[in-house]
Amino acid sequence: MNIVNDFREGLARGELLIQKCHDCNGVNMYPRYACPHCQSENLGWQKSSGVGVVHSFTVLRAGPPEGFETDIPYALAVVKLEEGVQLLARLHPDSQGDWLEYNCEDKVTFAPAPAEEIAKKPCAWFTKA
Amino acid sequence: MKDSWPLYLDRTSPNDPVFVGIGEIPSGKYPERTFIGDLTKVALLAIADAAMIPSDIDTILLIPNLHSFDDQADLVFSRMVEELGLSRQAKASFMVHSGGSTSDNAVRTASGLIAAGHARNVLVLQCERWGSADVMAMINMLTKNGIPQQWEQVAGLQFNAIGALITRRYMHESKSTPEEMASICVTLRKWANLNPNAMYKDKPLTIEKILSSKMVADPIHAMECPMLADGAVAFVMTSAANAKERGIKQAVRIAGSGGCVSHYSIGQEAEVGQLGWSIAARRAYHQSGWTPETADFGEIYDSYAAVTAIAIEGLGIAKKGEGARWFAEGNGDPGGKFPINTNGGLLSAGHTGVGGGTALIVEGVRQLLWKAEKERQVSNCQRCVIGGTGGSYMDAQVLMLERVEYGS
Repeated sequence: MNIVNDFREGLARGELLIQKCHDCNGVNMYPRYACPHCQSENLGWQKSSGVGVVHSFTVLRAGPPEGFETDIPYALAVVKLEEGVQLLARLHPDSQGDWLEYNCEDKVTFAPAPAEEIAKKPCAWFTKA
Repeated sequence: MKDSWPLYLDRTSPNDPVFVGIGEIPSGKYPERTFIGDLTKVALLAIADAAMIPSDIDTILLIPNLHSFDDQADLVFSRMVEELGLSRQAKASFMVHSGGSTSDNAVRTASGLIAAGHARNVLVLQCERWGSADVMAMINMLTKNGIPQQWEQVAGLQFNAIGALITRRYMHESKSTPEEMASICVTLRKWANLNPNAMYKDKPLTIEKILSSKMVADPIHAMECPMLADGAVAFVMTSAANAKERGIKQAVRIAGSGGCVSHYSIGQEAEVGQLGWSIAARRAYHQSGWTPETADFGEIYDSYAAVTAIAIEGLGIAKKGEGARWFAEGNGDPGGKFPINTNGGLLSAGHTGVGGGTALIVEGVRQLLWKAEKERQVSNCQRCVIGGTGGSYMDAQVLMLERVEYGS
């Protein structure tokens, strides 16, 4: 099992995958090589409902990393999923084309970016619910 | 989880580890200075300050630089032993590394070596050349270090965004205003204006100036971001018995320490607005027997204002949710009731990479040895809280330092 490729193939299909331990039924994000709850290597995947809340977020407006020069401004968020795991993700802009309508604790849903974007930058995207 | 720690740190023990000397050169942009030249200079300053000569040093601990891996390799492979004339005299020379919290872990490492008899006189050395390095190369390095490449680099995370995620959550929980957040940077600048070694020693700063600077990563403005600097510091540690035997009259001991590694990826931190500070503080207070009222001042990591506000709340110095307002009321200022970051901190003395935390420890020791300039000296201070953190604020590290005086 290649946990990075499996997760990314899920994103490419428009699915957000959460690693699931077949032995203790624990869920892991980010995916691990052994279950951090019970150390089992008997691991698989479940599809996330895609429902979560924004724990925190920011809009990067300057100083982008290499390869992100044409992306700015863009928003990054720590999203807590209802399955009890969390991840760093991108946020789609709001109705005004910025992110000023977002707040901490807002409900968000998984909303993948177009396939060609995911192919270049395989990360999860969310939008205001 | 077992969460009580041995109370081995006995101030009456001959093996009690103590700081006896410090060295520092100014932080800022100094393209004419050199890496090995600066290391040599601060090493000799610290050794002389400890009333020692280089051949007294048996162990060198290196704090890593981040401006060049080739220069870092020089440290790893014992170049400073040769530069200081310690060939065959030195017993060990090695690097300790946990990013921004390295200095706290270096102090623990040196203490363990001294207390267990593996080292007698330990020299801890740090130099960074960030201020003179290629800015784009450093930005790229900081985008790849402390951020998981498989899960978070692909989303475009970088260092200011990490600071912004922490700041946003802190402001949400505490209902702190942009003005209150900016006041923390102003407090630090007041201290820097009193520190001849600070990068911004000559430049005053106001809340208005900060809030009118451009937004870099909401809610952080450009003037709330640390400036990369060149800088170097060093300190010498030994045992209480050696210090007394050498006729040293005052030193600084470690009353206790605590730490908490809460995450690696910022996306996996369960409480981005709180981090590991309250757990680290509980452990440090337990081991030292101190309370939040015991210390006279603090030297607490401040790469972004929110990091320090969160830390002083976790340490119980300010009430929960009141950290930023505590600064806005002037409590951490020169003349305030609990001075914070009396060198100006990373935000105003200059961000010297892994060295930012080391400079804060050196400043804490300087204050406790009553060696700061008159207007900057915390009068008659006896105890200091040191706070450090590294990577994506993966850990919170706390050291409790206290002045000791040896009778003649």
